[in-house]
Amino acid sequence: MNFALTLPALLLLVVFFILPVLSLLLRSVLEPEPGLGNYAALLGSTTYLKIFLNTFVVSALVTVVTLAIGFPVAWALAIMPSRLSSVVFSILLLSMWTNLLTRTYAWMVLLQRTGVINKTLMGLGLISEPLPLVNNLTGVTIGMTYIMLPFIILPLYGVIRKIDPAILQAAALCGATRWQALTRILIPLAAPGMVSGALMVFVMSLGYFVTPSLLGGTANMMLAELIAQFVQSLVNWGMGGAAALVLLVVTLTLYAVQLRLFGTARMEGR
Amino acid sequence: MLLNFDRLGGWKWALIAITGLTSAFLILPIIFIAALSFGSSQWLIFPPPGWTLKWYAMFFADPRWLEAAGTSFYIAAIVTVLSVLIGMVASFGLVRGRFIGKEGLRALFLTPMILPVVVLAVALYAFFLRVGLNGTVTGFVIAHLVVALPFSILSITNALEGFDRSIEDAAVLCGASPLEAKIRVTLPSIRHGPFSAAVFSFLTSWDEVVLAIFMASPTLQTLPVKIWATLRQDLTPVIAAASTLLIVVTIALMLLVALLRKGLKS
Repeated sequence: MNFALTLPALLLLVVFFILPVLSLLLRSVLEPEPGLGNYAALLGSTTYLKIFLNTFVVSALVTVVTLAIGFPVAWALAIMPSRLSSVVFSILLLSMWTNLLTRTYAWMVLLQRTGVINKTLMGLGLISEPLPLVNNLTGVTIGMTYIMLPFIILPLYGVIRKIDPAILQAAALCGATRWQALTRILIPLAAPGMVSGALMVFVMSLGYFVTPSLLGGTANMMLAELIAQFVQSLVNWGMGGAAALVLLVVTLTLYAVQLRLFGTARMEGR
Repeated sequence: MLLNFDRLGGWKWALIAITGLTSAFLILPIIFIAALSFGSSQWLIFPPPGWTLKWYAMFFADPRWLEAAGTSFYIAAIVTVLSVLIGMVASFGLVRGRFIGKEGLRALFLTPMILPVVVLAVALYAFFLRVGLNGTVTGFVIAHLVVALPFSILSITNALEGFDRSIEDAAVLCGASPLEAKIRVTLPSIRHGPFSAAVFSFLTSWDEVVLAIFMASPTLQTLPVKIWATLRQDLTPVIAAASTLLIVVTIALMLLVALLRKGLKS
């Protein structure tokens, strides 16, 4: 009886999620002709390999930058007076819930040749020519970091909050300097949160579509955009399906790793 | 020592500085867009040379923008109702049910959250092409529902798990029918679950970009799709105005959540 209650949701999921995705993947080995031709074409071409490589480079870069900024912020949030931290939390949530396109648009405007950042830098006399900040790796990295920061700060905050301050007191009593306490106690204790948050940011970045395609140039296309292009402009379902499968396999593998390491895969975001 | 804010010494200021800078980094672009939407320069110069409402006037004078906003709202509203209803029924089944594969089913229900949206978008697009659902409200609702439902199930199962079932049983013992007990006893006590489910579902649909880009047709598009299409041509301040309207809706919903959460707790 209770199982029957899950049927409407299950039906929706099977018909409009599982079957369409499976059918797309099936088309990658059936169209235009049965076989692994699409995969051979995908992995045998330097153009596509470059896109894979670029996807990994951008995702890795974004992960490292968000981790470097996110750790101190999460740490501060975990120990700040709550009046201060609630302000920062509101900002985090507002930014997370502001439409993705709005945030990307903001960076397109800020980073353009005549944008505020270039103008300010030129006004200060730091540069004489506008820096190329958009339609390249810099633009994508800034935009993606902006989007991903909350996703690393929140889990790290949770982990740091759970650390028992007595452990650090004990370290101080035993003569540890602040630096030693940081590198030998705080960071190792927060490491599971860092790895898990980093994995999540990395996986989410791999599949991102909107921000990279608006802030990146044609020279550094990412995988999601390649999939969209195969389907929308080239109407090549075989190749589109094959590229989708590659993204899917990498994503699911990394989630499985996370599940294995931490027992739970945090599931958030788009 | 490192976990005591006042005993961090000089490090305290370093942490405050980086947190302040990060907060500024996160909030300033949003404020910047809101400010530019009132600026008189077409070239999005900051600070603007003067202030004007003309971008809003242009937004409201253009039936395509208004239509897109209306479509967004309409679709999000339908998605919200369906997502809460289906999610609620499924949550009762998942939390109360005893059947083989329950945990697996629960994990399955959350998979749309982890799958890259572009894969789902392309897959649904292909499927909808065959059955003629592209560019229809039904198509949009289905696509948005697939990604909204996991949030709904997550919120409601969490609330239901925190509810003491013996209260519902007591109502039945006192003569209520099982359904009546659920509606009049259980539902009011777990109402924060369906409520967050509704807000999350609405915002998920309202803000959805990637699926919407694939589901849209020249005659039927949501506000994010309209912004996306306009963005690819130029960076006109009308987008800033449209974006600001999106932000206002988001802030209003967030405040509503905060207020109701306070009200529900007491």
